[in-house]
Amino acid sequence: MSGGGEALGGGGKAKRGSSKRKTKKRVGFRIDMTPLVDITFLLLTFFMFTTTMAAPQIMEMSVPPETEEVEVAESQLLQFYVRDDGAVFYAIGKDEPERIDPKKLTEVSEISARENLKEEHLNKLIVALYASGDAPYGLVVAVLDQLNIAEGIIVDKMKKDIDPETGKPVERQRRFTIAPLLPEDVERLKGL
Amino acid sequence: MPKVKKKRVGFVIDMTPLVDITFLLLTFFMFTAKFKSEAESQQKFTIQRPKVSPDTTTIPQNNLAVIKIAIDSVTLDTNYYYELSNETDRAKVWGSISALTEEQRAEPQLKVTKELLEELVRGTRLVQPTTKFAIDADRRLRFQWIQDAMDILRRKQATKFTFVTEKKGA
Repeated sequence: MSGGGEALGGGGKAKRGSSKRKTKKRVGFRIDMTPLVDITFLLLTFFMFTTTMAAPQIMEMSVPPETEEVEVAESQLLQFYVRDDGAVFYAIGKDEPERIDPKKLTEVSEISARENLKEEHLNKLIVALYASGDAPYGLVVAVLDQLNIAEGIIVDKMKKDIDPETGKPVERQRRFTIAPLLPEDVERLKGL
Repeated sequence: MPKVKKKRVGFVIDMTPLVDITFLLLTFFMFTAKFKSEAESQQKFTIQRPKVSPDTTTIPQNNLAVIKIAIDSVTLDTNYYYELSNETDRAKVWGSISALTEEQRAEPQLKVTKELLEELVRGTRLVQPTTKFAIDADRRLRFQWIQDAMDILRRKQATKFTFVTEKKGA
């Protein structure tokens, strides 16, 4: 290895010695950048086409454990229904379900925020989503998304209230459940 | 006296700014690029995830079990798939299921029936109780498919899980 290096150095010296040309002092120089640009563009296009900009997000969910039965007062239950044909309804307790325009799903978050922030419902109201097995999954997630937005509004509002007992802001305890549409609810929603 | 026009034989463009910009873009795309996992590069379906309002959540990378419910792009059949990101756990869980063939044991992602899915979830819970579960389903599917997957998770005491979604475009 070292021998090769020496030979190369010697050759260089010999060459320099043999040429009688005067070395011009370089002030500026030019490199042909075309191959560099070629390769860079190739890589650029490759990375541009392979990257996906939309990184997946996640939505947290929790379901009550199977072994636990939760007792719920009907008047403290805000129910959202997604019918098999994709129609969305809501009702409190045993009230007649009211229809929500599927194009204005933002109403879901408005209703949830409004009901949750009522004095008598604060931290007591349970939001339940009943979805029919035939409803599209995309729609169910859209409703869930609205309920999550409502949660943000509720937490924001509640931070401003001071609990008179502890002197700290009132803490939000979320109560939420998702369940399949029961047969009696299917009957209730028919023809609405 | 009129100037004598020199005939141009070739010309040179200064490419430095072009190279600057191109390198800038190249580094940007190189650093943002995320490559597909082994399972994703083999699967024959693409999942159209449900669209939600944008937030900052990202899918966890470690100890993740994904239940995929997807429509096959050729046969248009809907199937459950199960992917486990942790390789050592995967070997243990796959090994604990007697119904699997040798070839299936080598795969990072399995096409499963509901019964097998339940066994796999049980196996995963036993091997690594801290595994996080995610449901990655196509938005066009009937909710029943997802409901069934949720019931399986619930039966196996995995009551906290996540739905994989996508940011709503402007």
